[in-house]
Amino acid sequence: MSQIIVSDADPIKGRSVLGAMGQSLRMLMTDNFAVVGVSVLLAFAVIAIAAPWIAPYEPFKAMMTESGRLNRLDPPSSLHLLGTTSFGNDVLSQFLHGFRVALLVGLVAAIAVGLISTIFGVLSGYFGGYVDDALMRLTDIALSIPTLPFSIVAVALLGPSIENIILVITVLFWRNGARIIRSAVLTERERVYVKWARAAGASHFHIITRHILPNIIRVVFLWVTMSVAFAVLTEASLSFLGLGDPTVISWGQMLNTAFSSGNLRTAWWWVIPPSLALVMLVSSLYLIGRAYEEQTNPRLRRR
Amino acid sequence: MRAYILRRLAQSVLVIWAVTTIMFFMFRIMPADPTAILLERGLTDEARQALLEEWGLTGSIWQQYLAYLTNLLQGEFGSSFLYRKPVWEVLTPLIINTLWIAVPGLLLGAALGAVIGTAVGWARRGGKLERSGIFLATVIRGVPNFVIGIALLTIFSSTLGWFPGFGMGDPGQTVGFARYFTLDFLHHLALPLIAVIIYFLPENLLLMRSGVVENRTEDYIELVRAKGVPPRRVAWHAARNSMLPLITWLFPALAETIAGIVVIEIVFSWPGVGRELVLAVTRQDYPVAQAAFFLLAVMIVIANLAADLAYGKLDPRVVYK
Repeated sequence: MSQIIVSDADPIKGRSVLGAMGQSLRMLMTDNFAVVGVSVLLAFAVIAIAAPWIAPYEPFKAMMTESGRLNRLDPPSSLHLLGTTSFGNDVLSQFLHGFRVALLVGLVAAIAVGLISTIFGVLSGYFGGYVDDALMRLTDIALSIPTLPFSIVAVALLGPSIENIILVITVLFWRNGARIIRSAVLTERERVYVKWARAAGASHFHIITRHILPNIIRVVFLWVTMSVAFAVLTEASLSFLGLGDPTVISWGQMLNTAFSSGNLRTAWWWVIPPSLALVMLVSSLYLIGRAYEEQTNPRLRRR
Repeated sequence: MRAYILRRLAQSVLVIWAVTTIMFFMFRIMPADPTAILLERGLTDEARQALLEEWGLTGSIWQQYLAYLTNLLQGEFGSSFLYRKPVWEVLTPLIINTLWIAVPGLLLGAALGAVIGTAVGWARRGGKLERSGIFLATVIRGVPNFVIGIALLTIFSSTLGWFPGFGMGDPGQTVGFARYFTLDFLHHLALPLIAVIIYFLPENLLLMRSGVVENRTEDYIELVRAKGVPPRRVAWHAARNSMLPLITWLFPALAETIAGIVVIEIVFSWPGVGRELVLAVTRQDYPVAQAAFFLLAVMIVIANLAADLAYGKLDPRVVYK
């Protein structure tokens, strides 16, 4: 072995959840791939916030030529930097607004899935008993629901709106995290210091917030990251299948319009930007997730 | 062992019951009227009533639920609103079409992923091959499957014209079972199959790589090395022991493949179950949508069960309780 790095599973030093979060983020920054991922995410977030101001036109406004005809499938020009769609919409404006939907879906999914999975996982792992049994049966059922077909049916029945899409995504993806977090809590619970804290008269609340949570925060982060990626992918797939919110422009929807109007080959300026942005966003999330995976699995570290 | 199998079987039945119940209530809470598509055809009230009875849409919701469960147990899914024939007749040929791209795609993706994953896992830690392998695999894993499909379609079908990008065969070709063995069919199969392979390869690669990295520092590898076994064979030892998670992953992945392939089927207009599900939902052909969804859920349950049982066979360390 060329390099031997001794690391004792990088124990979390902070005693508070916030301290542990900070430490975990600092550790993330030592992974070059994760730094790439975080930079892309930050850049995307800035674009998403600024989109309404930097987008040159209204995303659904039909562009007219000087002679008063609809400006269809215009290749990139100084007037329309990324050309126009077959409905005469400005591609750049639609593309920029697409950042908002992707980030919104990702952010809400991160918060909802993160909270639900953590609460269920911690309660189930820490208290065990009936709560645990019930939760495990529930996730057994939840895990045998095919995700994309379920979303297709649910969104079609509830009505294709961005709220319903987010609701369906949350209902689907809390289950994966809950299981993983539960097993992390199970190992933490058996640690000697937790027993000591208990013997010293610490309350369950104190033990959970001060001892359990700081130590499982990396597992939570890992699953939040993966959930965001799944959420973005699910929204994009639904929109591509024509089940997206018709009033909100998203990248999946742009590709759906290009595909169903039969302009994939000719209108490269319409197809490439949303495809590339989706790939960059999801890949960045996976790069960050991979870094957490290496952190949480000591057997993957260099020895 | 027997007790374990029985318990897992009972559990699977419970899961299937739960999924069908969720499905039943999901299809009843919808705002859209399921009979709308039937009424469009200008039926009299009596004819409408007869149709509703035929499709089990009369009575209280509990009566409907009971009728629905009885029908399910008898393998009776009703008739398609649109095609006007039994749902099974609509779906059975589509299942085969879906399996045609799902099974070879998954197997080839897993095999290629395992080979490349072993190479990446066995490479020097922190070296060029390892880093670029991980980076590429992670990025490709992040490509949504419809983007893979669109890229293949645009490059190899529309621009280069090497492969057809639509459907399963040119019109006027052989029909029936024989069509699956014509050159024309294989020509149409190529692009969707490649899309599925690209979709599954990176995940397998990363899984295999993690396994090899975990195994390469084990004592038995040192022993094999000390015996003077050539390096390539040493890597094979580590690879064999890393295949276990891959194999257990294969079964549930097959079910998820069939589900996730929906999008690829749409891009290439491949007449499979997933495409039919999307079409049925948009056409409000609920019996077909219900049955397609049920089919996919049952496949996942069976695959999970098979994976659990296979794991015990393959890994002697696993003890059934």
